[in-house]
Amino acid sequence: MTSENIESIVNRRYEHGFVTDIETESLPPGLDEGVVRAISARKNEPEFMLEWRLQAYRQWLEMAEPEWAHLHYPPVKFNEISYYAAPKSDADRPKSLDEVDPKLLETYDKLGIPLHERARLAGVAVDAVFDSVSVATTFKDKLSEAGVIFCSFSEAVREHPELVKKYLGSVVPRRDNFYAALNSAVFSDGSFVYIPKGVRCPMELSTYFRINAANTGQFERTLIIADEGSHVSYLEGCTAPMRDENQLHAAVVELVALEGAEIKYSTVQNWYPGDENGVGGIYNFVTKRGDCRGANSKISWTQVETGSAITWKYPSCLLRGENSVGEFYSVAVANNMQQADTGTKMIHIGANTSSTIVSKGISAGKAQNAYRGLVKVMPQAHGARNHTQCDSLLIGKECGAHTFPYMEIKNPSARIEHEATTSKISADQLFYCRQRGISEEDAVNMIVNGFCKEVFKELPMEFAVEAQALLNVSLEGAVG
Amino acid sequence: MKQVALSIDDLREAVLRMPDDALMATREAALANLDEHGLPSVRDEDWKYTDLGPAIDISNRWLANGATITTTSNDLLADAIAAIAGAIDANWLIIANGVIDTSRFDESSGIEVQRFSESAAPFVMDRPLADLNAALLNDGLRVQIHAATEKPLGILIIDETNAGAAVSQANVEIEIAPGCDAEVIEYQSSTGTGDHFGNSVITLQIGQAAIASYVRIQNRRIGHVQSGRLCATPGRDARLNMASYDLGGGLVRNDVDIDLGEPGADVVFNGLYLAGDGQHIDNHTRVDHRVGPASSSQEYRGILNGRCRCVWNGKAIVHAGADGTDANQANHNLLLSEHAEIDAKPELEIYADDVKCSHGTTVGQLDETALFYLRTRGLDKRQATQLLTHAFAADLVGRAPVAAAIDEITSLVESRLADLIQEEA
Repeated sequence: MTSENIESIVNRRYEHGFVTDIETESLPPGLDEGVVRAISARKNEPEFMLEWRLQAYRQWLEMAEPEWAHLHYPPVKFNEISYYAAPKSDADRPKSLDEVDPKLLETYDKLGIPLHERARLAGVAVDAVFDSVSVATTFKDKLSEAGVIFCSFSEAVREHPELVKKYLGSVVPRRDNFYAALNSAVFSDGSFVYIPKGVRCPMELSTYFRINAANTGQFERTLIIADEGSHVSYLEGCTAPMRDENQLHAAVVELVALEGAEIKYSTVQNWYPGDENGVGGIYNFVTKRGDCRGANSKISWTQVETGSAITWKYPSCLLRGENSVGEFYSVAVANNMQQADTGTKMIHIGANTSSTIVSKGISAGKAQNAYRGLVKVMPQAHGARNHTQCDSLLIGKECGAHTFPYMEIKNPSARIEHEATTSKISADQLFYCRQRGISEEDAVNMIVNGFCKEVFKELPMEFAVEAQALLNVSLEGAVG
Repeated sequence: MKQVALSIDDLREAVLRMPDDALMATREAALANLDEHGLPSVRDEDWKYTDLGPAIDISNRWLANGATITTTSNDLLADAIAAIAGAIDANWLIIANGVIDTSRFDESSGIEVQRFSESAAPFVMDRPLADLNAALLNDGLRVQIHAATEKPLGILIIDETNAGAAVSQANVEIEIAPGCDAEVIEYQSSTGTGDHFGNSVITLQIGQAAIASYVRIQNRRIGHVQSGRLCATPGRDARLNMASYDLGGGLVRNDVDIDLGEPGADVVFNGLYLAGDGQHIDNHTRVDHRVGPASSSQEYRGILNGRCRCVWNGKAIVHAGADGTDANQANHNLLLSEHAEIDAKPELEIYADDVKCSHGTTVGQLDETALFYLRTRGLDKRQATQLLTHAFAADLVGRAPVAAAIDEITSLVESRLADLIQEEA
C-alpha cells in the first residue's frame, strides 16, 4: 500500500464521534455518601437499595485500584467525575419512540441504528440507554405476553424488588473488585431481564449503550436471570461520541442461569478509542460474570471489542451446576494507542462441566493487546473439560500482543488443553491475494476476517454483519 | 496467612562474622538489598503459587542458632559424593554444605577454575534469593572452559544435615569460550534427617558460536528445600541445549533466565518433574528475546501423584525490534491423584511483529484405552500405569544432551517412578 494511502486512512476521523446537544441534568463532580444518597433519591429507590449502595461505597473506600493488568494510563481522578447524568426529559418519560427527543433519534440515525425500523424488521426489542437513564423500550407487550421481564434497572428496582433483592450482587458481590464496588455504589441504570421457567424468549434482546455527557462516568448494571429451562439471547452494543477527556465506564453484568437454562450474551463494543495520539477515549473497566447455578445450564459470552482507550474486561463463568457449559468467544482489536487487557475466567466447580475459550487478539499501530485468562478446576469438579485457543495477529512493528493464561488444576480427571499462537499476516497470504487482483486492504480485511471467523459465527446474524464491518473500519489505516 | 519475615538482624550478624575477604563488599550490598526489599511473598505475581515460608523458617532457625557451616569431613557426605562421582564420569567440582571442594577435580583438564575470593569482581545479585545467596556466600567458583574436554564438567552441590536446620549457598559462574563445545552437569543432592535449605545461583556465559550442553539433576531428599537460579547468556550464533530433571526435594523452586542479546542464538531447554507426597516443585522460566533472529524452544513435562503441587510458569518476552524470533513453549502434565495440583501459566509478551510464537499446555490423565489394552495383556494396574508414565517421561530422558549423564538419569527416573506409582495406582 502506498504511504499516501495509509496516511489518508490513518487520518480518518472516528465515524461515530459527534456530540448530541441535549441538556442533561448532572450531579456536580465528586463522590461521597451524599452523592450516593442523591442518586438513590433521584431514582426513588426503596430503602434496601440505598443501604446496598452505601455499603458498597464504604467498601470501595477501603479498596485499592488494581494495578496488575498490562495497562499504562494516568490515574483516574475519581473526584473529577460526575456520577449521575440523566436526559432532561427524565420527568415525563416518552411512552413511545414518537415522543423521544428528535435529536436523540438523530443520534441513533448517525450511528446507523434506526431504532424502530431495526426493531420491527429484525424483531429486536431495544432498551436504549442514553447516558444513564433508559429512554425507550420497545416490544414490551410481546415480551410480557411470554412473561419475560425486560426493563430498565430502575424500573426493576421499583416493580420487581423481590427479584432484584434475591439476585443483585449474587454473582458479582459488592466488594468483588475495585470497579465493581464503585459501580455498586453509584450505578445509574441498565437492563434487567427475567425469563420465566421453560420460556424461550421470543426475540433477541438488545441494549445500546451510549456515553454522551462530558465527564460523566457511566455505570450500568445489568442483571439477567434465566429461570429453569429457559433460553435468552442478549445483545449489547455501544458507540460513543468523540471526547477529549477520558471517560470512565465501569459496568457490571451479572447472569444467572438456573437448571437447564441458557444465556447467550453478545457484545459489540465500539467506545471511542481516543485519537491517534491516544488523547481522549473511554476507560472501560467492566466486570461481567455468569453463574451456571443449575445443572445442565449454559452461559455463552461472545464479544467483539474494537473500541475504548483502555479495556479491562474478563467475562467469566462459574460452572457450578453439573454438566454446565461455559463459552467465551472473543475478538479484541487494538489499533493506534489502544490498550486492552481482556480474557475470561472459567471456574469449574460442578461435575462434568465443560468450557471453551476462543480468543482472537489483533494488534495494530502502537496498541497493546493482552489476553488474560484463568481456567480453574476445583477438587470436586470431576470430569471437567476445557479447551482454550488464543491466537494473536500482529500488524505493524510497534504493537504488542501478550498472553497470560493461568491454569489451576486440582482434579485428576480434568482434561485441559491450551494452545496459543502469535504471528503476523504472512507475506505469502498477501501475495496470493494480490496476484488474484485483490487490493492490499481488501486482502488484509479478508485475512483478518478469516482469522476471526470462529468467533463471528457465534454472533447473532445482524451482529455478525455489523461486527465484520466494524472490524474493517477499525483496522483501516493499520495496514501497510 | 501472613508469611514470616526473614530475620534481618540475625542475618546481619551472620554476615559480619564471615571472613573479611574480597566478597565482603558484595555481601554487605546484598544485605542492604534484603533489608530494603525482603524476600518475596505469594502476593508477588512471580510467587503466586509458591510460599517461601519453609525456606524462611529454616533460615531463621539456622541464623538464630549461630549460622555455622558444617565441615565436609562427614562420612555420610563422603559416601554420597563417592556414589554420585562413581555413577557419572565427569570432572567434578564439589560444593558440600556451601564449602568448595576441588579434591575430585582434574586441573590438567584445561578447565580453569578460580575462586570469587581471589578477585574482587562482583557477582550476580539482582533478585531477592540471589541477594540472600550473595550475603551468605562462603565462596564461589569462576570456571572458564576454553576448549572441548574429554569428560564433562560436573558441578555437584550436595548438602547434609542431621539435626536442626541448615542453610547453604552455592554460586558458580561458567564461561564457555567462543567456538567451544562444552558439556556441563549440575547435580543437586542432599541427605540427612535435619531441615535443609539450599540456595544456588549459576550463570552460564556462552561465547560466540559456542555450543553448551547442560544437564541439571535435582535429587534432594524429599522434604528439603531448594531454590536455584540459572542465568544463561548465549552469544552470537551460540547454542544452548539443556535438560533438567527434578526428582526429589520438598519445596523446590527453579528459575531459568535466558537472555538472548545476540542474533543467531538457538536455545532448547526441556524439563521433567516427578512429584509425590509432600513435594512442591515450581519451575519458572523466562526467555528474553532482545534481538532476532533467534529461537527458543522449551518443553516441560510433569507426572504428579499423591499429595503434591507443581507449578510451571514459562515466559517469553520478545522485545521491540527482535524480528525473526521463533519462540515455543510446551507443558504437559499427568495428574494421577485426587490430591495433586498443577498450576500452569505460559506467558507471551510480544513487542515485535515478525515473530512466530506459540505455546501449548495440557493437563490430563493416562489414556483409558491404553491402560485397558495393557490390562488385557495381563499387566496389573500398577504395572500398566508404570509402563505408560515411563513412556511419557522417557521421551525427555532421551533428550538429555550430555551422554555421560544418561544412564544415571535413566536409573533415577525409573526408581522415582516406581516409588511414585506405588503410592497410589
